Amino acid sequence: MQTQQDHAFEFGGEGWEYFRIWIVNLLLTIMTLGIYSAWAKVRRLQYFYRNTKLAGASFEYHGTPIAILKGRLIAFALFVFYTVAGKLNPLLGILIAFLIAAVMPWLIVRSLRFKLYNSSYRGLRFGFAGSDGAAYAVFLLLPILTVLTLFLLAPFTHFKIKQYQHNNSRFGDTFFRFDATAGNFYGIYLRAFGWLLLAGILFSVAVAGMPLLGLLLPLIYLYAAAYFAVRLPNLVWSSTGLGEHDLYSRMQISGYLKILLTNLLGIVFTLGLFIPFAQVRMARYKLSCMGLLAQGDLGAFVAGQVQADSATGEETAEMFDVDISL
Amino acid sequence: MVAAHYFDGRTSAAQQVALTLDGGRLVMRGEIASREWPLRQVKVSERLGDTPRRLELPDGGHCEVTDHAALDALLTQGGYRRNWLDRMQHSLRWALLSAVLVVAVFAAAYRYLLPWCAEVIAQRIPPALLQQMGASSLQTLDRLLLQPSRLPAGRQQALRTAYAKMAALPGAQLDYRIVFRSAPKIGPNAFALPDGNIVMLDELVALTQDDDEILAVLAHERGHVEQRHALRMVLQSSAVGLAMTWYMGDVSSLLATVPAMVMQASYSRDMEREADDYAVRMLRLNGLSPCLLGSVLDKLEAARPQAQQREAANGGRVMDYLASHPATAERSAALCAR
Repeated sequence: MQTQQDHAFEFGGEGWEYFRIWIVNLLLTIMTLGIYSAWAKVRRLQYFYRNTKLAGASFEYHGTPIAILKGRLIAFALFVFYTVAGKLNPLLGILIAFLIAAVMPWLIVRSLRFKLYNSSYRGLRFGFAGSDGAAYAVFLLLPILTVLTLFLLAPFTHFKIKQYQHNNSRFGDTFFRFDATAGNFYGIYLRAFGWLLLAGILFSVAVAGMPLLGLLLPLIYLYAAAYFAVRLPNLVWSSTGLGEHDLYSRMQISGYLKILLTNLLGIVFTLGLFIPFAQVRMARYKLSCMGLLAQGDLGAFVAGQVQADSATGEETAEMFDVDISL
Repeated sequence: MVAAHYFDGRTSAAQQVALTLDGGRLVMRGEIASREWPLRQVKVSERLGDTPRRLELPDGGHCEVTDHAALDALLTQGGYRRNWLDRMQHSLRWALLSAVLVVAVFAAAYRYLLPWCAEVIAQRIPPALLQQMGASSLQTLDRLLLQPSRLPAGRQQALRTAYAKMAALPGAQLDYRIVFRSAPKIGPNAFALPDGNIVMLDELVALTQDDDEILAVLAHERGHVEQRHALRMVLQSSAVGLAMTWYMGDVSSLLATVPAMVMQASYSRDMEREADDYAVRMLRLNGLSPCLLGSVLDKLEAARPQAQQREAANGGRVMDYLASHPATAERSAALCAR
């Protein structure tokens, strides 16, 4: 019987320290008309990965700026092509939108592979082994069905996407496992929806003659959004394990809201100069709530087969705003 | 000596090791194995804040070092130099200088580059596209805001004839026509569509009574069209919105639209002045007094609801900068002084 050990994630980043890196890289990005942004992105990820510590070792990001730059150029070309075609001929625009929808699952798989392969911990790389066929089911078929069922299927689709991502991810040659159920997702969606419903009722009451109640509306909306942004990652991470070890996330809605609100105020009142501080604060909060329940030693993982992939998928997915945060 | 954690790249096991330098060779001593490599073959990660540094070793493994001072000493001894970027990223002076430069670049791009680009692009949009844009915006306005004009046909025709007889300034490119409409909710006003059609509201015709004053308003609106003001506004605000979204990134697209709106207002101030200049030149060419435009403005000001006027008076200078139109009294005095 091995003893269970609770390893908390730690984030060592500091606002001022990251500000210096961020502002210098922003300046260089502007001076090079955006080309340097690929290098800036690598630095940003490296800063956040290396500052993330678990059981005495830190994470590392290995993506190369050139691969990211190539991906960005292709994504940019696709975007311009789509915009121009849509302006010239609406029919051509629709055709291209269909084409993009058809290649998107393929691109998402490439982007997941690139992202995970370029992440490492204790000298071992992460990896992604999801098949293209399954990706088309969860990233194309299910979303279409979701729309057709008037979003009744949305929690199920979300569940399937997370299941596909986490079950196919590995560290070294050890796969992650994901044991949440669709029912868990429906529970969170329904409660968030309940808050929105309450907001709707309050709204009609406010319109009917109690305007003061209207002031509560934005607060309830914000609370519903925070509820979703906290409970969902909590569920996803607490249902994820690696081999015999288990992960957990225990964010609190009040703690999350406090950071979110102060960050927004800071960014607005400094015209954006607070952004690096805000990013550091949020990362620190999220990671401080996460941990790994280890069964024995973390030194027993073994490297898996090596595979490389280009950054194009990730960049295209980012450009077209399909953010699939892991 | 530098304390480090060694990972061999094949398993996740960590080993405590000590790194030293021996004549250009990096020597690693640990419990399990001791190895050495020429320092030149070791890839040392750049410093990034206080994050642990990595030494990628030729055997596929790597060392993680958190003792920055000791590692820096070892690297200096081995002939490593910090590059310029490394220095910039860690110096407070460079951070502050960068912040100033970033703000300066944004301000300069906004003040000079953006209007210039918008003007260049706006002047090159083909007339066919302008016609399409004008027609579709008139359609939208008709559906949402405007009602058919109740002005007698004879009066409409008289104004059309008077306007058509006006001599145009050189370089006029579009076919200018008056479109009569009514909009009690908007009140006395006139606005130019990108294709040269000028929407004249019954309320404005009723307010001035004087046909020459109406011609002055038409000349002013023509100035807006000739200089492609509406198009430039659209181009500029969408560019600002795009840049803001990029800069703010994941924050919120809602936040991004607020500054864009504030900035837009100050643009149209400049544009009003340009349109005034155009109107003055056109009125002079036709033997009319620039004062006419000033007197319409005074009438418009007087017709504004009392509450708005009071607000403008209380706001004083602050309002002057926020308002989309330059302060009316100032503007009409300037027009008459010419």
